[in-house]
Amino acid sequence: MQRPLNRALAVAAALALAAATTAQAQVGLTSNTATVTLNATKSSTLTVTPTTATATLASITDNSNVNNFTNVGLTTAWNLTAGTSVNLIGWFATPASALANGTAVIPSSNVEGGINGGGFTAFTGGAVGGVGVAGGSLQLFNQAVAAANFLGTRTDQLNVRLNLVGFPTTSAGLYTGTLNVQAVVQ
Amino acid sequence: MPFGVGRCVRPCLRLLASGAVLALGAREARAQAGTVSAARVIAFSATKISQLSVTVSSGAVQSIPSLTDNAVNNFPTPVVITTTWDVNPGQTNTVNLIAYFITPAQALSSGANQIPASRVLGRMTTGLPVTFTAITQNALGGVGTAGGSLRLFAQNITGANKKASRTDNLNLQINLVGIPTLPIGSYSGTLNLRAVTQ
Repeated sequence: MQRPLNRALAVAAALALAAATTAQAQVGLTSNTATVTLNATKSSTLTVTPTTATATLASITDNSNVNNFTNVGLTTAWNLTAGTSVNLIGWFATPASALANGTAVIPSSNVEGGINGGGFTAFTGGAVGGVGVAGGSLQLFNQAVAAANFLGTRTDQLNVRLNLVGFPTTSAGLYTGTLNVQAVVQ
Repeated sequence: MPFGVGRCVRPCLRLLASGAVLALGAREARAQAGTVSAARVIAFSATKISQLSVTVSSGAVQSIPSLTDNAVNNFPTPVVITTTWDVNPGQTNTVNLIAYFITPAQALSSGANQIPASRVLGRMTTGLPVTFTAITQNALGGVGTAGGSLRLFAQNITGANKKASRTDNLNLQINLVGIPTLPIGSYSGTLNLRAVTQ
């Protein structure tokens, strides 16, 4: 009677051990590792943001250069990996009629610009780095860049005036025009 | 010696002896019929190995062609994930899917520049993070990394679904709102997906 009982106990113990081993194997069972490759590209950026879309001159004075438009703030931001300079160009698409009042026009040669209170220069330059038009452009600044400032920003005040000294008397009316401002890396 | 007795002694003795032998044989025969041996137990064991696997059926490579600073940048397509299991419901409460980055501080990198896991968000509308959630949780059941993990789902296991699978979509995005302008470059990283039972 004793022998069969011992054997039965031994078998039961073995079965219990096997079951326990299986239980341990299932707790915390982990799968294979699947992967997802993530790619994201940060491209070079160069932006110009004016503080206002409109500059005004309330009253034109003939034969005078004291015809100042309201100033326009310009923020130029860049994030580059190469290049030696950031250039800001102001230009009129049609230099012969920078501003127009019907058939009456004021050419870009009588429109002058400057930045941050510096001197005025007529918009009669050529394009820079493919930006601008011949005879209707003005380089507003040339900002040197290198590895240390490939990521940068600057804010300037654009000053624009009409220089009508020696210009025929203008017709009464509203003269409107569009000055384009664009940056280019060289 | 009387005639009858004297002639019968020897044959009768032989007959008696034969009867005795027959009687003994009958007793042995009665002892063998119905005799049983001691019981011998043979234990059989066969193990059904539990199975748990994760596959990405589409979207294994995610790309954002142009990151925008100070903005949320969405990866354009979801990662389609199929999780398959065959487990013992008596020993498994849940099947959990974990997404994690090995190095949370540099989930994606471009040279020395990094995007941390805190800026990479995941969403599984059929799982736990039903809105975009940063991959900044801790490991679960030994799967994942501290501060670089996200539990995507916890599937309860019963007898009815002890052997089953499910397919889910994982949407990912990079949130650059409020951090300094990201240096230019091609950023890449690996998001790991692994299931674990609990």
